[in-house]
Amino acid sequence: MASSRTATKDIITLRGSAAIVSEFFGYSANSILYNRGVYPEESFVKVKKYGLPMLLTQDEGLKSFIANLTSQLSEWLESGKLQRIVLVIMSKATNEVLERWNFSIETDSEVVEKGVSREKSDKEIMREIQAIMRQIASSITYLPCLDEPCVFDVLAYTDKDVQVPFTWVESDPKLIDNPQMVKLHSFDTKIHKVNTLVSYKNDEWDEE
Amino acid sequence: MIVRTPPVKKRRGPEIESPPPSAAAGPLVIYEDHPSPSPHLQPTDDGSSHHMLCTYQCRQMVKSEFLDALSNAEKQVQDYQSRLEALNDNFRKVESERKKFRDQFLYTEQELSAAKGREKALQEQQLKEVHDFQERFSKQIRSYTELEVKLQTEINLRTKAETSAASAEKKASVLEGKLSHLSESIEREKRHLNNEIAHIKRESKLSVARITADLERMECRAHNAEKESQLLKGQLDDLKKQLSECLQQKSEAETKLTRFTFQEVNHTDNDILVKHLQEELRNFEAEVRAARKLKSSHEDVNLLKEKLLEEKGRRERAESELSKLQEFHPSMKKLEDELTSWKLMTKDIPGVSCCDDIPVKFGALQKEVIDSTKREGEATARLKQLEVALDAALIGKQNAETEAELMREKLEVTKSEVNRIELMLSRVTEERDKLRNDINEFKRAKSDGAGDEATSQSLLKELESSLAKKEGYIKELDSALFEQKQVNSCQREEIKSLNDRLKTEARKVKSLEREGDQLRSEISLLESKLGHGDFSAANTKVLRMVNTLTVDNEAKQTIEALRTELQKTKEKLQAVEELKSQSGEAGKLVDSDISGKIVQLKEQIATLEKREERYKTVFADRISVFRRACCELFGYKIVMDEHQRPNGIPVTRFTLQSIYAQSDNEKLEFEYESGTTNILANDYTSQREISQQVEIFIRKMNSIPAFTANLTVESFNRRTLS
Repeated sequence: MASSRTATKDIITLRGSAAIVSEFFGYSANSILYNRGVYPEESFVKVKKYGLPMLLTQDEGLKSFIANLTSQLSEWLESGKLQRIVLVIMSKATNEVLERWNFSIETDSEVVEKGVSREKSDKEIMREIQAIMRQIASSITYLPCLDEPCVFDVLAYTDKDVQVPFTWVESDPKLIDNPQMVKLHSFDTKIHKVNTLVSYKNDEWDEE
Repeated sequence: MIVRTPPVKKRRGPEIESPPPSAAAGPLVIYEDHPSPSPHLQPTDDGSSHHMLCTYQCRQMVKSEFLDALSNAEKQVQDYQSRLEALNDNFRKVESERKKFRDQFLYTEQELSAAKGREKALQEQQLKEVHDFQERFSKQIRSYTELEVKLQTEINLRTKAETSAASAEKKASVLEGKLSHLSESIEREKRHLNNEIAHIKRESKLSVARITADLERMECRAHNAEKESQLLKGQLDDLKKQLSECLQQKSEAETKLTRFTFQEVNHTDNDILVKHLQEELRNFEAEVRAARKLKSSHEDVNLLKEKLLEEKGRRERAESELSKLQEFHPSMKKLEDELTSWKLMTKDIPGVSCCDDIPVKFGALQKEVIDSTKREGEATARLKQLEVALDAALIGKQNAETEAELMREKLEVTKSEVNRIELMLSRVTEERDKLRNDINEFKRAKSDGAGDEATSQSLLKELESSLAKKEGYIKELDSALFEQKQVNSCQREEIKSLNDRLKTEARKVKSLEREGDQLRSEISLLESKLGHGDFSAANTKVLRMVNTLTVDNEAKQTIEALRTELQKTKEKLQAVEELKSQSGEAGKLVDSDISGKIVQLKEQIATLEKREERYKTVFADRISVFRRACCELFGYKIVMDEHQRPNGIPVTRFTLQSIYAQSDNEKLEFEYESGTTNILANDYTSQREISQQVEIFIRKMNSIPAFTANLTVESFNRRTLS
């Protein structure tokens, strides 16, 4: 990532932005899978990132999965064809969708078309990402308990003309009927703006 | 002052220039000293100056006189000097006053220029404001015209929508009328049918009663007939007996008769007996006939019984049918009602000739309704937009009002300033008048006193000219004030008109605000939809990353668990076997127990092994699917073997065969060892073309995928082109 950034720290290029955003997805996926208990607690180790202690999985399968995911995402982000990334948490037994972690992406088309760069300091971006990470960690306070074994899936909303890569298949959007929604912070690299939102299955207990 | 000895100068003077004054003459005049230029102040003796020649002798004589005269003259000079001083003082005073006036004049001039500057600034500001107002006004007019156009279109739309709504309402009312008509007819029919039902019920009851009565009657008859039949049976039995007796008697009689015929002793008796017997026979025959009749009647009774049973069955059937009929009645009625209503509807609906047209008509009507509701919605939305625009205009008006207020305040300020300037002007005119008066006084004094003060006159003239200039300035100021007032009045009018327009604009502003709210709510709705995960299929597709983590994990875990279990059971088995061997016969007692357990464990093992087998087969299936998919996707059949090198190191060998291969020999062999893959030389790869490609792609570029892909394309081309 650092290599793609120019010497002046405040200048940000398309590649640099794509790297920041895809790295953010990797960390946030790790954080969500840890905080929501999709993978066992003991399979994560702490590392320092974004000025916070972040948790990274040690499960080899999951690690390679996330690595493949981030590399594909950065490729799409560089072409400006990625509209949204969704991490879907489903019940293992029934395949019912319980949570959708939405990361919608707005790409500055001028940067993609003309290859110009933008100006924003690393520090500021890191601060914005830190706020989102904090919110993800604190989301367990209001999200309903996942008291059954869960699995996850990653969906990518892309432009129509994107070629489907080998490890991806076309899919339905895996929506939740009548979901509760909580909007989280967003961050902006001046090239990619990422809005975060978590929607989850309406807990029946609330309505009774 | 009296000087005893005249100064040398004075003494010499007369020696040279003037003759000594004569003794007889009046006061002597010292010629060298011209006492003053003002001759009118010196009283002179007439013609005595001619005799003022003096000799040394007379000098002493003349001296005292002369001295007196001198002193007088000196006194006079002093008087003159004091007068001159007084005059000088006066002049200085006048000058200072003049200076004061001048200062005042300069001050007023400065003030005037300041006032002018202020006025200019004010004018510029006002001009600017007026410009702004005009621009804003023109903008608002433009927006107003746009809004008017919109309003017109809205009104048109609304009228259309209203007309459509009215037509829809009319249709609805017509349909309602039909509905009421239909309901009435239905009610009537219902009543009618109810009556009929009641009637039918009554009839059915009656018929049932009749049938039951008939049945009873028949039963009674049957009963009677049974009784009769029994009686008749008895009679029949009796008659049979009698008949048998009769037959016996007859046989006896016949035997007797035969005997008699043989004998024919007493023929006449016999005849009588025969006759008697014949009669008896006839009687018997009659009885037999009666018996036969009875028998037939008995058969009839049986028949009747059967008929009765049949009748009963029929009655039951009829009853069940009746209940069914009752059940059917309402549904039939309903169906009839529906049919009639539908018929009426079809008659009522315009443009419908048969049943098949109805759905089409319905579709058209639904479409119309949807369209009208849409139009209505649009119209209401537009109306709301207009309202919002009006609100916005109102706010603009309020702003303008505040601005107008500000302008008024400014006007008041300018007025006060004007008043101040007027006050200043009046003061200045007063001062001018005063100055004039002073000047007049001066003039008078001048005319009275010494008229030769040219300098003061010139000064006065200057003052006058400056005064005249001042007056000119004052006039200019007056005219400027007048203009200012005019401009102010114009501006006021403009402000008023602007206020009126602003009122309308403010309304527009409000309506625009409402529109904004509406749009915001729409945006929030859309955002929520977006958040929900909706997307337009036109420019977005959803991809899912293939996730085999859970499946792999599960399989791994279960296999692991099974292995550990197997290990454990094997250990247990071993332990048990050891125990068995150790304990020998003593352990035989425990044996049965243990053997049971062993059996159990073996069963467990068997099931576990089965499960493992199943997992293996599932895994093999998946693998084969994967291989097939690989073959389809990459165009190579891949065979994987484990080999051992001569030095015992295990290596994995992959043999690739392209699906476009033209012979079985076209094979690529690779060795995979600890993360590195190497191509092996064989007949196929040692061909010139292939070896070249191997050299380029694998050895130089270090890319096996590029090599295989290139090979695939080449063999594909060869296949398809050839």
